[in-house]
Amino acid sequence: MSIGIEYYVLLSMGLFCIGLFGVLTRRNALMFLMSVELMLNAANINLIAFAFYHGNLTGQVFALFTMALAAAEVAVGLGIILVLYRNFRDVDVTVPTTMRW
Amino acid sequence: MAVFELPGWTALAPALILAVTGLVLFVFDSISPNSTNRSLLAGTAAGGALVSLAVAVWFTFAGVGTPTVDGGLGEISILGGQLVVDQLALYFMIVVAIVTALITVASYDYLVDHTYQAEYYSLIILAATGMSLMAAANSLVTIFIALELASLPSYALVAILKDNRGSVEAGLKYFLIGALSSAIFVYGISLVYGATGHLQLENIAAVISGGDVDGYGGLLGLGILMLIGGFAFKTASVPFHFWAPEAYEGAPAPVSAFLSSASKAAGFVIAFRVFTTAFPLGETTALIGVEWTHAFIILAIVTMTVGNFAAATQDNVKRMLAYSSIGHAGYALIGLAGLTADGGEFVMGAAMMHLLVYGFMNTGAFLFVGLAERWEVGRTFEDYNGLSTQAPVACAAMAVFLFSLAGIPPFGGFFSKFFLFMGAIEASAETTAMLAVAAALVVNSALSLYYYSRLVKALWIEEPSTTRDRLAQPTGLYAAIIVAAVMTVVILPGFGPVVDTALEAATAIVG
Repeated sequence: MSIGIEYYVLLSMGLFCIGLFGVLTRRNALMFLMSVELMLNAANINLIAFAFYHGNLTGQVFALFTMALAAAEVAVGLGIILVLYRNFRDVDVTVPTTMRW
Repeated sequence: MAVFELPGWTALAPALILAVTGLVLFVFDSISPNSTNRSLLAGTAAGGALVSLAVAVWFTFAGVGTPTVDGGLGEISILGGQLVVDQLALYFMIVVAIVTALITVASYDYLVDHTYQAEYYSLIILAATGMSLMAAANSLVTIFIALELASLPSYALVAILKDNRGSVEAGLKYFLIGALSSAIFVYGISLVYGATGHLQLENIAAVISGGDVDGYGGLLGLGILMLIGGFAFKTASVPFHFWAPEAYEGAPAPVSAFLSSASKAAGFVIAFRVFTTAFPLGETTALIGVEWTHAFIILAIVTMTVGNFAAATQDNVKRMLAYSSIGHAGYALIGLAGLTADGGEFVMGAAMMHLLVYGFMNTGAFLFVGLAERWEVGRTFEDYNGLSTQAPVACAAMAVFLFSLAGIPPFGGFFSKFFLFMGAIEASAETTAMLAVAAALVVNSALSLYYYSRLVKALWIEEPSTTRDRLAQPTGLYAAIIVAAVMTVVILPGFGPVVDTALEAATAIVG
């Protein structure tokens, strides 16, 4: 109760930055997926903390939607990583370079 | 009129019809999973898209969404204002339905040997449902859900040629950047929610105008910046444009056409709605210290320039079209850059016109590439040399698309660009930087003429470098290309109603 809203925002920003760092540095597609999950959960922390702060439930309900969508995104992502592995025998995101950047 | 008696949710019919069509395709697939009955599947998908188009056009003319002062039925809000059907929503539902219909008809021939027919069409229709809903979404929640509904099938569609390395690589890159940008987008939503306590666009605007967010201006500003990142991904503009060349090049050509036309239009409609409804320019500026139009002015100039300069250096036709599609996102961004505190409906209407014309000409151009892929002539400009001797009709259509994309006078693309230019000049009375945008538009259009006419020259003037066998004439692809070409041309005499509809819709949302 006594914890200020700013600490929640700091926590979520920290989590978001860890996720972003992972996205930028990891070459394994699965690690990339996990880093994106961290970023999405950082948003969830914000939504729930602010829902408590503002005293309405909108944010909490939206956090439920975000979790469901994150799960759907992982399902599609794992499917793509699976065909990636079948075609390239690797899940390193820097390996597929049939097209130049 | 019958519309009066219908319950409010039926106003969403264009999107609902697409959703039902997608489910019907799933039923077909579960009854006979290995069916390759292409006529039935493509016919159902195209039929659903056409019915959705017809209903959206009917609603527009019946006055659904038109403000009551203009003799219409007023905008219809559904689920407590989470979704809203107004002129803007119907206009973009029409654009999405047109592109979907063209794509499904063309896919009939493109996917001739493909194993997963029903999956392909149901994914296309579900993505179209998401885009149609994006047009009507009026709260950050529904915007995010509709955006994901459009994105998730698109990832799978890009990678649908499972044994083709290019397609899988394109799918991977599209997915990685898409997942990253949607994480940034949802974090932006959470910050805007934190600053205002609401997710519905009108309520956000009310809180901002009421001055209740003092002290949270920085949070709000960061949130808005992150939202722009999400829109930039969906519309393939700088700084999230990296996926576009790879995804468009590796994906099956009809999917590239779908993503670059319908998906881009849907991305713009949410950007238009969010920034005109939720963040009133004057009050938001007072809170965050900067006008958000400045971000769009910079993005518009950079996106146009990056897209067109990169397109000019390409050898691969599909990749050239992909970069040109980034350039066109830059043109449409002028619609947001030119907004002012008390006006700007003209420039936004021009951007909407451009997105409609673009829906025809760009879809057509990508479908011609699809035709060339089916002929297996190769991918570079040289491979296209002298195609006109063997397929004059398709090449004439392609010339129409390319000249229209470049903005040559007799075609639709000229008019929308001309309106954008006029709008930018008009807005420069308030923001001098808009003069730079107008100049960038002219310079980039001139540059784009160079690489578009290079392709026309290859098709019509160069001699074939190799002798080819007789080229097939697949009915569906030809039909879609010719319809797109005819519409690109006749939209000129028919431009009056389009201009009126777009301007009315823009006025309703800006005013």
